[in-house]
Amino acid sequence: MKHIMKQGLLAGVAVFSAMSASAEVSIDGQIDYEATGFFNDSLHPASDQNFNNSLSFEAEVYTEWADGTQSLTFKPFYRVDEMDDERTHGDVRELMWHMVADEYELKVGIGKVYWGVTESNHLVDIVNQTDGVENIDGEDKLGQPMVQLLLERDWGNLDVFVLPYHRERTFAGTDARLSIGSEFSDAIYESDNEEANVDVAARFYSYIDDFEYAVSVFHGNSREPVLGGDAISGKPLPYYPLISQFGVELQYLIEGWAWKFEGIHREGTPEADINLFGNAVLNTSLGVSLGEDQSYFATTAGFEYTQVGIWETRIDLGWVVEHMYDSRQEKASFGAFEHDVLLATRWAANDDADSTLLVGAVVDYEYEDYSLSLEGTTRLMDGLSLEVEARVFAPDEDAPLYGFRDEDFIKLTLSYYL
Amino acid sequence: MKKVLLGVLLAATALTGFAQTPEEKGLAIAIEGDKRGEGFGDSQVKLKMVLIDSKGRESSRDMRVKSMEGKGEKGDKSLMIFDTPKDQKGVAMLTFTHKTKSDDQWLYLPALKRVKKISSRNKSGPFVGSEFAFEDISSQEVEKYTYKYLRDEVVDGMDCFVVESDPVDKYSGYTRRVAFIDKQEYRALKIDFYDRKNSLLKTLSNKEFKQYLGKYWYPNLSEMTNHQTGKATRLAYENYEFRVGLKEKQFTKNSLKRAK
Repeated sequence: MKHIMKQGLLAGVAVFSAMSASAEVSIDGQIDYEATGFFNDSLHPASDQNFNNSLSFEAEVYTEWADGTQSLTFKPFYRVDEMDDERTHGDVRELMWHMVADEYELKVGIGKVYWGVTESNHLVDIVNQTDGVENIDGEDKLGQPMVQLLLERDWGNLDVFVLPYHRERTFAGTDARLSIGSEFSDAIYESDNEEANVDVAARFYSYIDDFEYAVSVFHGNSREPVLGGDAISGKPLPYYPLISQFGVELQYLIEGWAWKFEGIHREGTPEADINLFGNAVLNTSLGVSLGEDQSYFATTAGFEYTQVGIWETRIDLGWVVEHMYDSRQEKASFGAFEHDVLLATRWAANDDADSTLLVGAVVDYEYEDYSLSLEGTTRLMDGLSLEVEARVFAPDEDAPLYGFRDEDFIKLTLSYYL
Repeated sequence: MKKVLLGVLLAATALTGFAQTPEEKGLAIAIEGDKRGEGFGDSQVKLKMVLIDSKGRESSRDMRVKSMEGKGEKGDKSLMIFDTPKDQKGVAMLTFTHKTKSDDQWLYLPALKRVKKISSRNKSGPFVGSEFAFEDISSQEVEKYTYKYLRDEVVDGMDCFVVESDPVDKYSGYTRRVAFIDKQEYRALKIDFYDRKNSLLKTLSNKEFKQYLGKYWYPNLSEMTNHQTGKATRLAYENYEFRVGLKEKQFTKNSLKRAK
């Protein structure tokens, strides 16, 4: 994985130095400084810090030619983290050649795509791997090698993907906060081709007035690892099964309401098995044992209601309510939302600094626990923005997130745009 | 096409001075104004938006707008791309204007690679923190208002029709607008906006008009002043270009994602 990153980086630099001689190249950059404070000591002895500094850099180099019908984008990313060696990492977020022809578009390289409509949970979004060390919200993604064909017609849009390489999910290291406090065993794959398995995906999307819909399919290495046990090393084991997923996205806007639905049906994930000591996967000296393949479905459904200009001010106030369900219930994977509700409120100041605030609670009504989050952004001046993020975890003793009970934090990020 | 013919007839009646109700005369003026803007094909322009708060402090945004005229019964399409503030670079908005139903509007957020449909309910809300509402910057189709001719008045030495227009859409932030339209070229020199309580909220002044293609008049400067807050927003246009050969497929959801 590091290998492909380095190759991508070198390729990006090489292509652009060759091009810069002839075409106009635009370069943008962003430097983020992040300070995080944790309110409690960690449960894990290895992570003994309650304050963390972190610095990241992202650039975007872009050039186009042939009257704008062809372009190349290169987006390298690098982070240096004080506490977490795993979080000190780099990635080629994008290195993409894009061609626009009369009847189709073609993209070849490394890139990112986003699928989905809901706020709390991103079930359908499957093309890119989660860069888990960046943020626990799962919204940061690793660059995905891909060939993408885009067809845009009067009846809708069809995107077809060939994904020739799989990226492993990143996890916080043992020294870090928001970590499970243990190293991971080397990942294993169901596919004989391992990370080189060629995955395929497609998504059709269209709209009728204020009703938008999309259906998607995916077959290949799961982006979400099943966490099993490695009896040899005693460490948790990420296992990437071959899965097939069918996804649906719906959104209907009517007056102040945005009604949203995301649903997936997934086949091929091994189930936790009593013979494997409750693991879905167990690696022993005798080989890898797997629980039985299971099919399941998961949904997120809800609405956002927006009041424009409340109290005769410029402020927009939104109310977000979403329900999350996973048919596996207590057998669901770590981090899944089996029976949860998001209640949130979104504020948009509509000021010249584009200030926004999102405050929410995710309540698990079976475990009767909750977590709180706050995300706010504002612009201090042109080229300098401030972001605040805070999370409070109040998990039940039996809940999967119980290990995060002392990980409440507040994080300030200053972003400087070059 | 039918509408255009009707427009010509109504304008002709206005000129020949048949007995007209104020509503008929107001509509005739609106149709004539619309007709004079027809046939531009496509356009692109750079503009600087300057937000001025009540203490006179300024902050600015740079953007580019590409527009394509709708043919027949279709409304115009437009694509707006932000260049600054730097954290907003690459944010783009695609609008399909419709004559009678609500406009379709999508926003592209490049950091998330996400295209979001904007609710038409938002139309009365401020556009990117400015004194312009979403409904002020969208293409002004005749069908979106009902009209009433009020009087004649001289503005900046020019003879003007004063025409009231009431939005048809119940989610508009206005009860009415009062436009001052010069009789010579049918340019809106000034528009007063009245809020839902019918008190004067804002005034738009269009200045430094320039004629393009020997036919079309566009202001180089538009200033929106909010009388209730003392804030203002100035739009300075530079370098209008017409008939540059923009194509339909430059105004699609895919094109939104590659707008640069």
